[in-house]
Amino acid sequence: MEPKECLKFDEVSYLGESSISLVDFSFSLLEGENLVIFGPENSGISLVCPLIAGTITDFEGTILYRGSSVKDFDFLAMHNYRTRLGYLQAGYGLINNMSVEENISLPLKYHSSISASEINVRVSELMAELHLDHCKNLRPVDLLKSEMLKTAYARAIALDPDLILLEHALETQCLLNAQTYLTSLMRRTFSEGSSVIVVTYEPERFAGFADTFIMLYKGNKVFQGDRGAFLEQKNPYLKQYMQASLKGPMRIL
Amino acid sequence: MILERLVRNITKRLTGFIRGLRSFMGFVVSIFVSFKSFRHLRFRSIYSIAVNQTRFTGVDALPLIVFIALLLGGTVIIQATKNFPKFGIEDFLGNLLVIIIAREMGPLVTAIIVVSRSGSAIATEIATQKQKGEIQSLEILGINTTLYIVFPRIVASFIAIFSLIIIFDIVAFFGGYLISLTTVFIPVDIFFESLLNSFNFLDLIITLLKSLIYGILIPVICCYYGFKPESDFQIPIYVSKAVVRTLVILFVINALVSALFYF
Repeated sequence: MEPKECLKFDEVSYLGESSISLVDFSFSLLEGENLVIFGPENSGISLVCPLIAGTITDFEGTILYRGSSVKDFDFLAMHNYRTRLGYLQAGYGLINNMSVEENISLPLKYHSSISASEINVRVSELMAELHLDHCKNLRPVDLLKSEMLKTAYARAIALDPDLILLEHALETQCLLNAQTYLTSLMRRTFSEGSSVIVVTYEPERFAGFADTFIMLYKGNKVFQGDRGAFLEQKNPYLKQYMQASLKGPMRIL
Repeated sequence: MILERLVRNITKRLTGFIRGLRSFMGFVVSIFVSFKSFRHLRFRSIYSIAVNQTRFTGVDALPLIVFIALLLGGTVIIQATKNFPKFGIEDFLGNLLVIIIAREMGPLVTAIIVVSRSGSAIATEIATQKQKGEIQSLEILGINTTLYIVFPRIVASFIAIFSLIIIFDIVAFFGGYLISLTTVFIPVDIFFESLLNSFNFLDLIITLLKSLIYGILIPVICCYYGFKPESDFQIPIYVSKAVVRTLVILFVINALVSALFYF
């Protein structure tokens, strides 16, 4: 059976603060597909996840989630839509007066109808999977960076979302300690069929994982291709970006 | 020239006041709108917020409330015994305490303490959460932040303020009685009989009404200012505004309620 379309951007344009913008940005994401969106600072990549999550609404064009326009969602439709998203924000957004366990159980307590004991089981499973048992009762201020990442990730996937958004998740992380997170992410995408959108400055870290790569520069899409095209680096923008070269079509800030 | 500048200043301040009032009304409307998702709210998710807020606003404020109530009750009696004739004082001491403490000072002083402790804490907590991206992260999780943050604080404030007013009044009466013993001897049964005779059903209703009004206004105004800061350096500005403006509104409301029922 052909996988269905999960998300579609159709000529989305937005002029944000500090001149960050997106210009006629289009792409589509199928169920189970993994997409990496990257580009230099001020390229507009930071707008993608907020646009999908509906925290930016005054854009032009259409964003479709399973055929329904996100812009047209009413109060309750938006409420339900957000429970289908697992959004790991840049900075993680953990609630500082809650422990790791409380942070992870928050969406389950708020949205799901499962009992308190079932929530405990689910949270324990997630903490075991991500090696967070030892910091169950710690607050975010007492955590290491990798523990914060894993807690935010556990919270994002607690409701088993079908679309996972990862915003600058691995930047400033110790790659060794972040391995449990990457292993869990791989397992989730390969065996459970969730779609993933990764927004990052370091696309090469997801080379073995992503199906499609999109590069933005000044709000415009300058490269889109599969893993092979990404690794070949024939596109001049991609080549300059990956080699961090001063020479090329992009002007360095 | 001076007149023109004065008119311009007044117009500017008036425009600012109206804009602020409109913005606050917008916030109040958003609270009502958020009740649309009330049936989706699972109380277990806000239970700990409500309990913690009640403990902080109510239980943790008890020593301060007791201390101030004792002092205030004693002060009222010291003034009364100093300035009024001692003959027949036992008949009007109860009346005096009910009028000054139960009707006016009890609710007002309790509200002032709650604003100073909990109001400022609410505004600071929300402002910090906003700046750290926690509010946005709650929204992204599909959590209605207005309902999740404001509603449990209203419930907690109402419970805490009502209980604190009752405790304040009882302690102030007790403090007043202890002080009165140093100047004139009034048997305890006569003192409390005089108090009960001075109390009426309306006093209880007004105490409940004031608790309700303060219990709603304090968290709503402080939450409103907590959501306002757009950067870290604005946090103390808005926390200060939250406390000062809540206090001003409390004094106005207190005067209005008293005028309405006792004038």
